[in-house]
Amino acid sequence: MGAAPKLAADRITCRFGETLAIADASLEVASGEFVSIVGPSGCGKSTLFNIMSGLLPPDEGRVTIDGREVTGSTGHVGYMFQKDLLLPWRTVVGNIVLGAALTRGVSGRDEAEACELATRYGLGGFLDHYPHALSGGMRQRVALMRTLAAHQDVLLLDEPFGALDSQTRLEMQQWLLEVWDELDRTVLFVTHDVDEAVFLADRVLVMSPRPGRIAAEIAVDIARPRGLDTLTAPDFMATKRRILGLLYGTGGEAT
Amino acid sequence: MSWRRVGRWLTPVVAVLGVFVLWGVIVRVFDVPDYVVPSPRAALAALVDDWDVMRPLLWTTVQETAIGFVVGAVLGFVLAVLMSRWGLVQRVLYPVLVGSQAIPIVAIVVPMALILGYGLRPKVAIVAFIVFFPVVVNVLDGLASVDRDLLNLARIMDGRPARVFLLIELPATLTPLFSALKLGATYAVTGAVLGEWGASTTPGLGTYLLIQNSRVNIDAVYATVLLLTAIGVTGFLLVLGAERLATPWRTRSTARRRRRVRSPMRDDVAAGEGGRP
Repeated sequence: MGAAPKLAADRITCRFGETLAIADASLEVASGEFVSIVGPSGCGKSTLFNIMSGLLPPDEGRVTIDGREVTGSTGHVGYMFQKDLLLPWRTVVGNIVLGAALTRGVSGRDEAEACELATRYGLGGFLDHYPHALSGGMRQRVALMRTLAAHQDVLLLDEPFGALDSQTRLEMQQWLLEVWDELDRTVLFVTHDVDEAVFLADRVLVMSPRPGRIAAEIAVDIARPRGLDTLTAPDFMATKRRILGLLYGTGGEAT
Repeated sequence: MSWRRVGRWLTPVVAVLGVFVLWGVIVRVFDVPDYVVPSPRAALAALVDDWDVMRPLLWTTVQETAIGFVVGAVLGFVLAVLMSRWGLVQRVLYPVLVGSQAIPIVAIVVPMALILGYGLRPKVAIVAFIVFFPVVVNVLDGLASVDRDLLNLARIMDGRPARVFLLIELPATLTPLFSALKLGATYAVTGAVLGEWGASTTPGLGTYLLIQNSRVNIDAVYATVLLLTAIGVTGFLLVLGAERLATPWRTRSTARRRRRVRSPMRDDVAAGEGGRP
């Protein structure tokens, strides 16, 4: 590949006092690629995300987007948390356009685009609803639309479905794949759920326990579009077993 | 209006009437002499008879209460914002403010009059002094309760500090602010009355109360208490109304101003107001 990767983290090291949180972690994500990161809790997944979003300057290493250095500066990625962080006093549309509202002010075009997004992805009847009137899954959809409406090519999703029940989570995963397929964004997705990581991604990066580093990289060669059948297909199981083996240091249990 | 809504409005009215009835029954059953506790009828009669005298006094007390309330609320809000912005201001001011609230109000009525004169000003100052404290404490709590991750998200979005404050931090203070204002609205009247107990060239209901107390004109005292209570209750209701207007998301499931009329499905959704669709 001659072109620079869409997103790259190059030899990131981060310390909190005496604790080495991340040691020499490097990763690259190609344009339009969907990459999952799994790792045991406390391995520095969220710290790595904070560094790549520019919230936290690393002690060493650089972050680049399209080859341009963005280390320690914000405003280059879309970010989504496990909490939906919707503002209770803004409606669905008001929350989706938050990025514009916080920077240059909301234009008619922003609003129209927000309505269009919400309508396209099943919230057309709820444009003027306040978040408290929505279910957990709907709120998380709004949060993703808010991330999309910020118009960043790179999306960092930090366990976005971690707080949802398993059924809603599965729906949201399928929906996310649909959105990703249509909107052509580059996604880096943190989760501790191996099924989720494999189901969604082109590649899964496995992080080691503290100090966090990228211990392994597994390509997920499962055809898209992926549906419910995927979850029980042999190649899905094989990939999952490999990752479990890497995470827990065993060969993985036969299923 | 459905019957349920009528019922909701009627309940408090019936409750207040009930208090009057209970008052009348107790006075009659226990045969309380009318120079100890007058009957509600006697108190209301005194109110009607003395209305011409009391009306201008009522106006003065309402003015003191209202102006003092607004001054106190604005002052409290501004102080809280300054204190949350600058830690040093908070560390210096907070203990002073807490200390100030330990001062018995009655004790500063006369000193206030000496400093601020005998007109409206000392009364306004005392009302404001009572109202501002709960506002400071509650607004500070509101500002401190804003989710760190929400502020991080705003940073990732490259939000401008002024807009982040206006759109994220300020609205978070509204609910606690209104709790403080509801308390303040009821306390404020007491402040105005106490303020009038100093020397005054602008007599109000507090002055009147003092005079009628000294004459042991108990019917008039009760009539004044009724009026003072009415001021407090009206203030409380006004704050409640303002709260509903200012924080629609707490009582409604959709914004008041609808974007567009959509499919008929919307009506089903709106019918489930407050509930999860």
